[in-house]
Amino acid sequence: MSGTEDEPRIGVFVCHCGHNIAGTVDVEAVAHMASNLPGVAFAADEMFMCSDAGQTLIKEKIKEHNLNRVVVASCSPRMHEPTFRRVVEEAGLNRYLFDQVNLREHVSWCHMREPELATEKAIDLVRMSVARASKLQNLPIKKVNVLPTTLVVGGGIAGLRASLDIADRGFDVLLVEKTPKLGGNVAKWTHLFPSDETGADIIKPLIRDVKKNKRIKILTESKVSEFDGYIGNFGVTVKNLKTEKEERYEVGAVIVTTGFEPFKPVGYYSYGESPDILTLAELQELPRSEQLLKISNGKPVKKVVFIGCVGSRQPGVKGHEHCSRHCCSATAKAAADLRDRVDEVLVLYQDIRTYGKGHEEFHRMARQKHVIYSKFPQNEYPDVIVKKSKITIKWRDVLADEDLEFEPDMVVLASAMIPPEDVEETSHLFSLTRSGDGFFNPEHIKLAPLTTHTAGVMIAGAAQAAKNASESVIDASGAAAKAVGLMAQGEVEIESTVSHVIPELCSSCHTCLTACAYNAISMDETKDPPIAVVTEAKCHGCGTCAAACPSSAIVMYHSTDDQILTMVEAFLCPSPSIQGGG
Amino acid sequence: MSKETARALVVGGGVAGMQAALDIANQGFKVYLVERSPSIGGRMAMLDKTFPTLDCSACILTPKLSEIARHPNIRLMTCAEVGSVTGSAGNFRVKLRRKARFVRENLCSGCGACSAECPVEVANEFDQGLGFRKAIYTPFPQATPNVYTVDKENCIDCSRCVKVCERNAIDLEMKDSFVNLDVGTIIIATGFELFDVSRYPRLGYGQYPNVIHAMEFERLINAAGPTHGHLIRLSDGKKPKSIGFIQCVGARDVQKGVPYCSRVCCMYSIKNAVMALEHNPEAEVWVYYADIRAFGKGFEEFYEMAKSRFGVRFVRGRVAEVMEGKSSHDLVVKVEDTATSKLRLIEHDLVVISPGVIPSSGMDTMAKKIGIDQTNDGYIEISHTFFGPTITKIPGVFVCGCADGPKDIPDSVSAGSAAAMKATIILSSGGT
Amino acid sequence: MTSTSLSTTETVDSQGEWEPKIMAFCCNWCSYAGADLAGTSRIQYPTNARILRVNCTGRISPEFILAALNMGADGVLVSGCHPGDCHYTSGNLKARARWALMETAIEQAGVDPRRVRLQWASASEAQVFADGVRTLTEQVRKLGPIRREWV
Repeated sequence: MSGTEDEPRIGVFVCHCGHNIAGTVDVEAVAHMASNLPGVAFAADEMFMCSDAGQTLIKEKIKEHNLNRVVVASCSPRMHEPTFRRVVEEAGLNRYLFDQVNLREHVSWCHMREPELATEKAIDLVRMSVARASKLQNLPIKKVNVLPTTLVVGGGIAGLRASLDIADRGFDVLLVEKTPKLGGNVAKWTHLFPSDETGADIIKPLIRDVKKNKRIKILTESKVSEFDGYIGNFGVTVKNLKTEKEERYEVGAVIVTTGFEPFKPVGYYSYGESPDILTLAELQELPRSEQLLKISNGKPVKKVVFIGCVGSRQPGVKGHEHCSRHCCSATAKAAADLRDRVDEVLVLYQDIRTYGKGHEEFHRMARQKHVIYSKFPQNEYPDVIVKKSKITIKWRDVLADEDLEFEPDMVVLASAMIPPEDVEETSHLFSLTRSGDGFFNPEHIKLAPLTTHTAGVMIAGAAQAAKNASESVIDASGAAAKAVGLMAQGEVEIESTVSHVIPELCSSCHTCLTACAYNAISMDETKDPPIAVVTEAKCHGCGTCAAACPSSAIVMYHSTDDQILTMVEAFLCPSPSIQGGG
Repeated sequence: MSKETARALVVGGGVAGMQAALDIANQGFKVYLVERSPSIGGRMAMLDKTFPTLDCSACILTPKLSEIARHPNIRLMTCAEVGSVTGSAGNFRVKLRRKARFVRENLCSGCGACSAECPVEVANEFDQGLGFRKAIYTPFPQATPNVYTVDKENCIDCSRCVKVCERNAIDLEMKDSFVNLDVGTIIIATGFELFDVSRYPRLGYGQYPNVIHAMEFERLINAAGPTHGHLIRLSDGKKPKSIGFIQCVGARDVQKGVPYCSRVCCMYSIKNAVMALEHNPEAEVWVYYADIRAFGKGFEEFYEMAKSRFGVRFVRGRVAEVMEGKSSHDLVVKVEDTATSKLRLIEHDLVVISPGVIPSSGMDTMAKKIGIDQTNDGYIEISHTFFGPTITKIPGVFVCGCADGPKDIPDSVSAGSAAAMKATIILSSGGT
Repeated sequence: MTSTSLSTTETVDSQGEWEPKIMAFCCNWCSYAGADLAGTSRIQYPTNARILRVNCTGRISPEFILAALNMGADGVLVSGCHPGDCHYTSGNLKARARWALMETAIEQAGVDPRRVRLQWASASEAQVFADGVRTLTEQVRKLGPIRREWV
């Protein structure tokens, strides 16, 4: 690690972020304090550091003051660290000589009513960062090749679409599906609300094309059992669930399309107490027929009730707080369709969310066909009573301000979309985090909905959140574009923040080997005594080995003991010379 | 397909078009990104915060703007419009009209000396006309490309800018020019416009100074906006203490020709309601709605937070009328509260109308030029909900973002990537 | 770094009251992101904690915690992913295993173990993160400045 042994000349740039930071934190005071810190050659505050003007300012000042370290005090590094790393790089500095202070998410936005204490905190954080900056080192920029195959996990509509797009673009696909058949949830539906097609109409041509395509290798009744490696070079072990045989593959990118499961609403509205109380998904799976028949006795259904938001929109109930998005439109279409075959259709709802293209028309059509919509209060759920095979439903209608009662032949529960049973397994396998709805978190909820925090692993369709089949198809093509982007470039930069063993200090105790979750550390037996060595390509940079090593023989690049302790010291014991002007 | 035509044209530089361009360019193909205004960034650049995380819009958008600007495979063409399109998939010829911006892009450094010197002040459309800009201007601080533009309609030809420009970048005699582009595929990402809410005279927009629409509200609370982020009433500059948001204006209304749901208004209003409380925690904030459509990832949770933690009050009912007090410019909202079946009169000192989304102007002409179909609502018709949600009738022409119907940001971004995928399949099957 | 630098100045707020100093170590993937979300959600919590970002709680050596207390931190917070949710598979479990030892060590040194807190807060648990900071701050506020215990 050379080239940074010289005296630190640190530039500190404090961002106003409009009013976002400057409205609470005295940014000028922060910049002034920073200018007096040891090693700081330049400090200033600026309206938007991320703007072109801000970026240009950094580059100019690097040249003008011969800066060799840069600290930007602005928003979360999870947002703009890549931006500023690139900026310093364009000005000729190694990207690892940059450090960012989070004055917005961690200071101004969460201490809005305590401007003085917030400013004090900001000053401490900048002082800590400057201390760290002076210890930062150049790290090499590493590139790796990307293998031209993508693993697609899940053979539902999203997985099929993604596989086809990638193959059509000229790259190979390994498609892994845990059930014996491709097609996922959509294939099961005889009624694909909101549309007149059956699920098979949609899925069959896709399956046919996938099977025909020579670039797609299909593994059904199979699951990914092991996953390791890094972007561009993942190792995948796929286990055949029937034969228990395992096979190893190597892929460059991954798309997770593990979809959803319709919630079985046991404990809601007497579900399970009568065969005539079923979920919307179960209704969608009934064979098509001229007449809707009761499941219990085969007699024609005359009266149907739909209940919305079953297992959705329940504040405080873990995994059920989210809106399941597809159900309102599906219910509207189903109600309108069924109204042609039965005498009365009632929809009990909280809000009608027919948001999509053509969905409002279904809603209008349902009303025109005299489907009755009745809004029930948010916290007063309807009561479904099953007595001697007779179903009675009682509820409060908000708009009429009345308690109502109805005896339907069939109750359809529009139940939530929840993650599949084995979602936790999948999340661990690919190191994906999950949000409150139980589905996987995207890299950024607004602008990066298809990538994740595991570089090289994409998500699409209902694996990301409740959504309908059309939206899943869009996601799938989008995620395919991300995978192809990697494969077409053929190589990708990877982080250099890995650990390194200093051979002279290693005491051959093997502690680090057990600490490492990735088998990235092994013993070099050619040495006497054997010493630990890190296989950098396998190292993910968690630093657990460095903390575990009793001999302090392991350096975690970019997160060294020295870099961490100097921050602690700068916070707690700033020597008078480094207390600065704050 | 020749190497020349293994290129893509993306029409529209909003967030969907930007994403499409990036995803094509990242596969190694050349892209022309064409935008009719002086900067890319689209509507998202105008927003203050985004739902459901309250991230500041400019903060998350800026990295994308600069990624576009520096991408070696993207040729950015602003102030440009599609003139005509001939040919077919793999071999389109597109005639492009490049409107004179009166500043040479290759010479302008974006220093702003010209703008400081310009004596003309006109209403700034980026700020919804609430603030001012000069006749030579950039629409917003992060504008990309960072190049000034002369608004010739308002320019008085005093040439002061020409004299002050050290790089001789300004040419007030510049003429429109035409270029022909040979491309293999075209992506339409022309976005949306907001419904003109003055078409509902009973709601008072355009008559009462303290009735504004949501995009004006975005600019009012934005630190880079006309009031430097101070939320004030336009009539007297006072901090509003009671704010009402009116939903579904120019949306879900068959009579006004907008029968569809605009998908974003519920969430942007809840976000704006929360922001109003952040600007003034003492304020009372009401939202008048028909249905709250919080259907995206994290949206329902955000709606719940707005109710329970921020104390935004939600009233279900269509607003019959907004009335103004005689002298104070204070307002009264007349609404039938359908939850209680009572007619209520509620006083506010600021009313924010949430306009629905309509197809962008010029959509009809453009659809004709390319030969693609439109829906009854005026958006671009897609070939099939499940097989081709980004595919149009014309092979090789794709669509994303709000050009085929209202969408929020993540859905537009996903669609941008999806359209890029389809486009690159066409490009790769050619001769690259 | 030496332990002779105990001449630390105590933080006082504008009313002249003593304010506890909290050193907070957060993992990048869960708790740091949770703290980000607390900010974007405008959840307000005490200003006392200074967050130091590490990739994983597994990176946090007991030495860092002891050093912080030694240098005058009135409390130390370690916040990471829930067990089973670690971005690096199991780093947080290693952190938890070390925690027990570390607690014993500081107790033997005469430091009240209520000054240190290990918590799990995911990227979506902004409130959990904020509550953790509040709990520790209030706890430490009751215990008073740490200098009494070390010296």
